[in-house]
Order: sequence, then structure tokens, then C-alpha cells
Amino acid sequence: MRKIFIMVKQVALEAWKAAAMAAAASGFLLLCLLSKQAIGAPVKISETLEAVRNRGTLVVGVKTDYPPFGQLNSKGEPEGFEHDLAADLAKRLGVGLVKVPVSGANRLQKLEEGAVDVVLATMGDTADRRRIATLIEPNYYSSGVTLLLRPEQKVKDWVDARGKKVCAIQGSYFNRPMAQRYLLELMMFNNARDAKLALRDGQCIGYMFDNTAIQSDLLRPEWAQYKAPLPPAIVAAWAIGIAKREQGSELEEALSDVVADWHRTGFILEREKAWDLPQSKFLLEAKVLWNSEDDDVRPLCRRGVDRQWPAACRNQAFVLAADVSGLRSLGLWFREMTSFDLTVVYDTYDRGRFLKGLIQSLMLIALCVAGSLAVGVLGALIAESRWRALARLIRALGIYGRMTPPLLQMYLLFFGLGALAWAYSSVTLSALVIAVWCLSYYTGSSIMFALIHAADHERETRPDFVLRLANIREVIGIAEGPVIAALVNVSKGTMMASAIAVPELLSAATAIMTDNGNTGVMMHVLLVVFLVLMAACVRLLSWLVKRIELPHQASSTGQQAPAQEQGAKP
Amino acid sequence: MIVQDIFSTLWIWTPFLLAGFGWNVLIALLAMVLGTALGAALALMRLSRFKAIERISSVLTELSRNVPTIVFQFYLAVMLPSQILIPGINWMLDIPGWVKASLALAVAVVGFTSDNLHKSISDWRAGRHSTALLFLPSWTSFLLIIVIASSTASMVGVSELVSRCNAVINAVGDTRLLIPIYLYASLFFLLFCYPLTLAMHRIKARMAARLPAQGGSR
Repeated sequence: MRKIFIMVKQVALEAWKAAAMAAAASGFLLLCLLSKQAIGAPVKISETLEAVRNRGTLVVGVKTDYPPFGQLNSKGEPEGFEHDLAADLAKRLGVGLVKVPVSGANRLQKLEEGAVDVVLATMGDTADRRRIATLIEPNYYSSGVTLLLRPEQKVKDWVDARGKKVCAIQGSYFNRPMAQRYLLELMMFNNARDAKLALRDGQCIGYMFDNTAIQSDLLRPEWAQYKAPLPPAIVAAWAIGIAKREQGSELEEALSDVVADWHRTGFILEREKAWDLPQSKFLLEAKVLWNSEDDDVRPLCRRGVDRQWPAACRNQAFVLAADVSGLRSLGLWFREMTSFDLTVVYDTYDRGRFLKGLIQSLMLIALCVAGSLAVGVLGALIAESRWRALARLIRALGIYGRMTPPLLQMYLLFFGLGALAWAYSSVTLSALVIAVWCLSYYTGSSIMFALIHAADHERETRPDFVLRLANIREVIGIAEGPVIAALVNVSKGTMMASAIAVPELLSAATAIMTDNGNTGVMMHVLLVVFLVLMAACVRLLSWLVKRIELPHQASSTGQQAPAQEQGAKP
Repeated sequence: MIVQDIFSTLWIWTPFLLAGFGWNVLIALLAMVLGTALGAALALMRLSRFKAIERISSVLTELSRNVPTIVFQFYLAVMLPSQILIPGINWMLDIPGWVKASLALAVAVVGFTSDNLHKSISDWRAGRHSTALLFLPSWTSFLLIIVIASSTASMVGVSELVSRCNAVINAVGDTRLLIPIYLYASLFFLLFCYPLTLAMHRIKARMAARLPAQGGSR
């Protein structure tokens, strides 16, 4: 055993060395590439900017069908929040403005073929779009998902909407995560009109869509009494777009400086107010961020030697390993190299959830081990006592506990007894207590019979032997094998508690998977963590039982006592 | 719902529940067959003359003891595809959910078989044939443990007894049925496992009694 352990340790050490060398090598390579880029980079000349200056106008793609961001006024002239921003852009570049109406479907195409210089048209900042266009950071606005609520609804936050019927449009990317995260019951419609009709007919409590679109709906008289009080969920930032080839050019830098100045001066907040948009948290936070200073009383958000904004002022979704330091950098680097997204390591929120789950699991294991030992020892003492009737009852209960699945017992207590308790005394039963009890009852019954068998075995040589508190440690010594096996099993079984919503490691991992979509990675992490945990448990429990037990006196017969069902159980 | 109603509801759903329990037994049997085959291979390897093979087997046995079945079941449910193309003969092999549950449970059987059969084979080779045969009742007792453990397959959506209980509760829509139906389901397990356990204990005792007195140590 020891030899194997040493061997495994050596193999692990070798693997670790190799991995560290590979990491160092690729890290060095990355550093070389980056420093080359950083030093040798005067700003790239922009073809687009030269053309703009030559013709004296900036051509901006804007929306005209998305009030109040872009709309046509009563005279048929285009206007709106984004139109004001476009006008300011042209003014700062010292040229005239030409506006070209674009749609969600053609805006990037028009950019690529040069029909427009800039797109400023309610465009979300996504990785897919970054592949075909250059998106300007900082982002200038953001939107999320909210509910357009019927007038009589009193829903105040997302938790209140849990289990309620909500009208939604098929194919929206946010349907699934919203339904999972907030447990909404979605009624799917083919288009916005049908969904809104259903809302009007009272088929659902609200209509789920992008909050900025809902804000513009609210401006119309037909939705006069309706409201949208819920904070936007699944928030996506909006970005100005320019052509892909303009990446790192003078134009990108100029536009980026303009947006940064919009945040610093509050110009954009002021325009938002002018168009009657509700004050967005995103803009308020951006204003604070872009006006904050570092320890040397210099602006926190200023360009570094590589002409980039610091990581803290960037869109966090697109920050690369090279832009940040510490654990986060290591995690992102690993993701870029292996497409293994270890959010549990580098993401503070996920790491917190995972650790909480781990602590809960460790606590469950400790409680179940203690509970099983207590149930087993107490049961065995009573079963061997003089009170015949009680002893019989305990043996019968032990047989029942041992022969029925603990999962079934958990359901029985949690849902069955829980419903009764709530109906008659409005008491809620703790899921944790129920889980610990059921697992302890099941395992404790096994331990009880192992102890009784050990006592039976002892009676073969000492006919007057009776199990008592005084000799219990000795009997545990005889039944050592089955007792340790039972305790290891209950440690493995604690994951069952996730079935009744105890927030242990399995539940935590499942939640992280659904949020990030990194199912494969999380599954591997979970399995490895549990393997390590169980290996530790096996060692710890053997040590613990060896501490509890007393060496057996009649050594010749005792050692090979009831060796039934040893080894791994599920 | 008065008592009579509860009994008649349980009676109506009994065939459905019994079929569910059939799945539990099937899952457990498949797990035992697969696990015993692999475990037997490991047990033989542990008795090998070559140190390396013996070590590999010990490490694998240790590993299979440490795998938590429930997590492994989730792992297989998510990571293992539901269909696998067998290369060469161009044939799609279906892997339904219950087979994945069996595979997860089989890991626990591997550890059990490797440990117990290893001892039995040594006994057999040393001429203690009747001691070696004690493996059979132990194996059956372990089958019962796996039948009980197979209820966790409900957590990955296999329609066995426990998940069928929940299905019945949803279909009937009466929360007063909760306690009776779970108790009823636990009786299935009890009535299946208890007689077999008693029988195995008796067989084991009889086999042990026939052992030659001096060869008592295993």
C-alpha cells in the first residue's frame, strides 16, 4: 500500500514538473509576443478617418425604429438618444454628420462594405460580433431582460415572479437562462405581437423582453397603465462598431476617447434623462468608475504604455489573461490555451459558491458520521438490553432502516411529513436535519447489526458476554471492517441531500454549470474533488475508528470476526 | 381522501409501481454482472506473479472504492453520449439512462468483487474450497445493497420506483397521498430484500458449520 502511494506521488510529481515547464514556456512565448506589440506600436493610420476628413462628413448607421434610441419625429426627421450621440461624435471629429438608417440584420454588413463609417445602433457587445467587427470600449450603454407587467400586478422583484406565467418570444437567447434562474413558466409565442396580445388578454402576468424595448413600449398610450419595475437581468453592454480592419487604429482610439469622455463628463447621463429613459445603473457606475483616481491621485482609467485601458475599466467579458494579474489571469490563460473554463478557480462569485458547497458537504459528512455512530451504538445497546419488547422494536426498526433506500426516507420526511407539519402547525422542517437523520438512520442500522453480530460472535467463546457501554469500544474493535465501510459509504451518500435542495457541493456545481455552460469542465472538477475528498475520508475514518476502538482481549478468535459485506459499498 | 380511497388509489397504481421496481432490480443486476466481470479480472491481476500488474490492480481497486456513485452517475448521465457508433461494423449502440446508472453502480461492485474474490481465489488455490464458496452468499447480500442504491437513479431521471412515486403524486394531485405512497414503496424494497437476506444468512451459517474446524481462518 505504502509503495503504491509513493509511486503515485512520484508520478504526480513528474506530471506536475512537466506541466510547470510547459506553462513557463508558453507564458514566455506569450510575453514575447505581447511586448513586441506594446513597444513597436505607434497608432495605426486609419483609412476610414482619412476618408472622413477628406469628404468632411462622418457617415453613421443609426436606428429609426427603436424609440427613443432612434425614431422618426412627426415631421419625418430621424432623432433619438443615439442620434444625439452620433451628432456629438461628428462635432468632436470636426466634420459634418450623415445618418443612414440600419437594421439589426444589416448593420455589420453595411460597415464591412464601407457604406457607413460607424455603427451606433443598439448593438450588444458579444464575442461573435467582435469576430467580424471592431467594437469600441468603453461600452456606452447596456440593456437586460425585464418584464412588462399588467397594471394590477404587484410583483416587485424577480423572486415574486417565481412560478408565474410569463409571455415570451420563441428563439430569444435569454428564454432558457431566465426560466432556469427565476423559475418562470414561459408561454412561448412566435412573435412580439402575439405575446403582447396574450399579455393584454391576461394570459400571463408580464411580457419578457429587452428592457430598452419595453421602455419604449411604455411611452406609447396603449400601454399607459402598464409598468416595468424589475431590474434588468442578464445584462449585455452596447458598443459602437467600426470595421474589423480598423482594429488598433487612430479611429478606434479617437472614438474610445470620446466615449470615455461621455462617461467622465456625464454627457451621456444627461442625454438619457433628456429622452425620458429611466436612469440606468450601468451609466451611473460608469460615471463613478471613469472619474475615480488611483493611489497617486491620477485617473484610474488612463491608457497604459500599450495604449490600452487598464483591465478594471474594460468589459470584463472580453478581458484576456494578459490584461489581468493573479489567479484570474492564470484562469483565463488556461481557458485560452485549453478551452477549459475553470470559473470555480478564477471567478470570485463561482469560487465562493463552490467553497460554500464544499463546506456544506464537509459539514454533512461530519454530521452523518457522528449521527450514524450514535444511532448504531445506541441501537445496539438497546437491542442487547434486558428490555425485551424495546429490543425487538429497535431490531425491527433497524431492519426497516437498513432495507429501504435513504432517498425514499428523505422524500417521505421532507415532502410527506413536511406538508403535514406545514398544514397543522406552519412549521418548516429543515432539509439539512432531515438529510442527516435519514442517512444516519440507514447507516446507523448497518452499524447496529455489525455490532450485534460482533457480540454474537464473541458469545461463541464467552457464552455470558453481553454488549454494554463498558465494552462497546472493544466490540467496535471486532466489527472494525464493516463499521469503517459503513462510515465511508455514508460520506459518499451525502450527495443524496441535493435531492431535497440542501445546498451542498453537487447542487453548487449544478448551479455553476447552468450559469456558465461549462458542464464538461465542472463535471470533471466535481469528480476529481470528490475523489480526493473520499480518499481523505477513508484515511480519516480508519484513523478515527482505530482511535475509538480498544484492542480485543481474546485475540485468536476476534480478528477474523464477522467479515460480511466488507469493501466498497455505493 | 378517506383511508379507503388511499388504498384503492395505491391498488390502481400498483402495476405501474411494480414495473418501476422491476427497473430497480434490472439496474442492480446489470451493475452486478458488469462489476463482477471487471472485479474478477482485477482479483486475478492482484494474484499475478508480476509485481507491476499486481500494483496496477491494487491502484484500480483503491480507485473504485473511492468513486462516489451518485456523482459518477451524474457524470455519466451528462458526459456519456446516448448513442455510440461502434467503429468497423457501423452500428449505433444506444446507451439509455438506466444503463448509465448501472455503469455508475458497477464501479462499487468492482471494488467489492476485487476484494472478496481475491480472498476466495486464494482460499480455493490453498484447497479451502468450502471457505472460498462463502463468496456466493456475500455476493447476493451485496446485490441487495445495490438494489437499494439503485433508487438514486431517480436523481438522473430514470423511471424506477422512487421517481414513479413522484409521478403518481403529480398525476393524482393529492398531497395526502405523499406519506402512504412513500411508505408503500419502501415496503417493496423491504419485502424483496429481507427474505433474501435471511436466506443468505442461513446459507452462510450452514456453509460455515461445514468448514473443517482447523481451517477456520480466512
